[in-house]
Amino acid sequence: MINKIIDRFEIKRLKTLTKSEETYRKNCLDIFNRLGLPSKRDEDWKFSDVNEIFSKNFNKFNFESVKSKNQNVEFIKDLEHNYILVSNGEVVSSDFKYEDKDKINLTQFKNEDFSKKNENNSLIYLNHALSEKGYSLNINKDYKFKKVLVIYNYFSSELNENFLNIRNKIKLSKNSELHIINFIIVSSSKKFFSNTYEETVLEESAVLKNIYLQDNVNDGYFHKFARYKLSKRSNYSSHIFPSGPKFNKFDLEYDLSGDESECKIIAATFLDQNDHQEIKTKVNHLAPNCKSYQKVKKVVSGESKGVYQGKIYVKDIAQKTDAYQLSKAILLSENSEFDSKPELEIYADDVKCSHGSSSGSIDEESIYYLMSRGLNKIESTKLLVEGFLSESIDTIKSTAIKKFLQTKLTSQIK
Amino acid sequence: MLEIKNLTASINEKQILNGLNIRIKPGELHAIMGPNGSGKSTLANVLSGKNGYKTSGELKYKGKDLNDISIDERAQQGIFLAFQYPTEIPGVKTNNFLRTSLNKIRKARGEKEVDALSFLKIIKEKSNELGMDEKMLSRQLNVGFSGGEKKKNEILQMKILNPNLVILDETDSGLDIDALKIVANGVNTSRDKTNSFLVITHYQRLLNFIRPDFVHVLSKGKIIKSGDMKLAEQLEKTGYTGII
Repeated sequence: MINKIIDRFEIKRLKTLTKSEETYRKNCLDIFNRLGLPSKRDEDWKFSDVNEIFSKNFNKFNFESVKSKNQNVEFIKDLEHNYILVSNGEVVSSDFKYEDKDKINLTQFKNEDFSKKNENNSLIYLNHALSEKGYSLNINKDYKFKKVLVIYNYFSSELNENFLNIRNKIKLSKNSELHIINFIIVSSSKKFFSNTYEETVLEESAVLKNIYLQDNVNDGYFHKFARYKLSKRSNYSSHIFPSGPKFNKFDLEYDLSGDESECKIIAATFLDQNDHQEIKTKVNHLAPNCKSYQKVKKVVSGESKGVYQGKIYVKDIAQKTDAYQLSKAILLSENSEFDSKPELEIYADDVKCSHGSSSGSIDEESIYYLMSRGLNKIESTKLLVEGFLSESIDTIKSTAIKKFLQTKLTSQIK
Repeated sequence: MLEIKNLTASINEKQILNGLNIRIKPGELHAIMGPNGSGKSTLANVLSGKNGYKTSGELKYKGKDLNDISIDERAQQGIFLAFQYPTEIPGVKTNNFLRTSLNKIRKARGEKEVDALSFLKIIKEKSNELGMDEKMLSRQLNVGFSGGEKKKNEILQMKILNPNLVILDETDSGLDIDALKIVANGVNTSRDKTNSFLVITHYQRLLNFIRPDFVHVLSKGKIIKSGDMKLAEQLEKTGYTGII
């Protein structure tokens, strides 16, 4: 049995804390200790019982930070890009060679907000109590990146049952623009848990495009809570390709708090063996004339489990909201599972909201057609799965990025 | 090329083919005509190896028993079915699929795989012959294609894969006269002494352009009459009721 009460000593270990920060962290830890790891008793976690998953796969909480001696990272070729290299949550190097460096400010994350907040997710409290690594990225007003920024999130081979708490913040000032590829590279062959909290602020008319991509199959357990605040006419779009880890849960919350702001979430995953992956979104339409679009596609095989929980909330003043949500899944085996929970909560009367969810096995007529052209059943299935998932990258404009993603996506399909 | 003796086929306990016999030699083009529900498409499906049918009787292709051979192996050995309703496959690009298919079949024949560049040349030539817009080939397979485009795409595949036995399952249905001529021309230019065609159709129309060597009338899962082009002409005048 794992002792799930975490000692305050873990906070003491963190050096150079101010009094107020220490108090804040202690409070967060107390709340976490009271709530424990999320379990299926919580509605939001009914498909992903972290308490059970953690107990089954880990022997203890190990919050020790790990410095990796070297980062065995293969940089993306054939794509001109800026980069930040983050190793086990800590920024180790960066290069903004295509940009005006004065317009960009990258520092280690430092929390300055010690106010008490009500969170629905106990892992956030744990993160706030113990996070010691992370970055803060600020982009100045009117600055538009010339090339894409690749954030290499490297998890080193030294990791062994470590529980990492990482906290990042990204702020795009008024009228700025940034395109990011968050590339997750795991070198460790052991289990580890990465608990990330990320806050992204888009000021008026700022544009952020974000691609999240896992590089390889690994024994990592990932949880990421991300909160996005969108001001007037700002635009956020993301493509999430999270195949690879044993466990991966995204808890994503979008506040469309400025008029005419827009967000778009597109996800495509292939899950194999006993992978478990969940994407949970909450899109809050808090101002009029905002748009949101979500399309989540999953292919589950083996004994894997895919989950999508998507909620659209429309506040009474958020008239002329245009919200769309769709999830589609293909089940390749009898023991695979897909759970979907779409939810709409609407308090405005002049809105356009639609949602849909479908799941089923692979289309036999399509298999027949492909086989009648000489492809065997496995090849036909693979081609169909690839086609099903690849549609998600059609909307990406850059040919170089598209090509890179296509190669990665194809290699993820087993 | 193809020898069928006393073929029966049933699906979901329903008997559709009732002892069908046909023999097709290399270089021959046979037409099978018949009313709705006579078993024309079932014959096409059974020849291609589609799952779900219970069959008995003899089915020989190039002297070998076809019964235990899977759909893809049949294709690799040179059987090609042009579908009556080509399946729409979202996300799969037509040209990528065509190249994969061609290479599978070439590999089975012991030929070298074609690289992207040579493939582009092949596809350009063949699609021009059929008056197809090359841009269509970078679109998703059959998705959003018009009826005529889908059928032309089937003929394009036939031309690229160069099969020995071609089964055209109502390829003429839904085609306007110009498209029909193009499709017929596609068939005519592919005919030679070594390959055979089995053309399934409702109407004589297509046969005016491709001139079959033999015409058979299929009714209730059996061939009830065989002849040459004159039989098709007679059918056009009297309808099936005059014969069945």
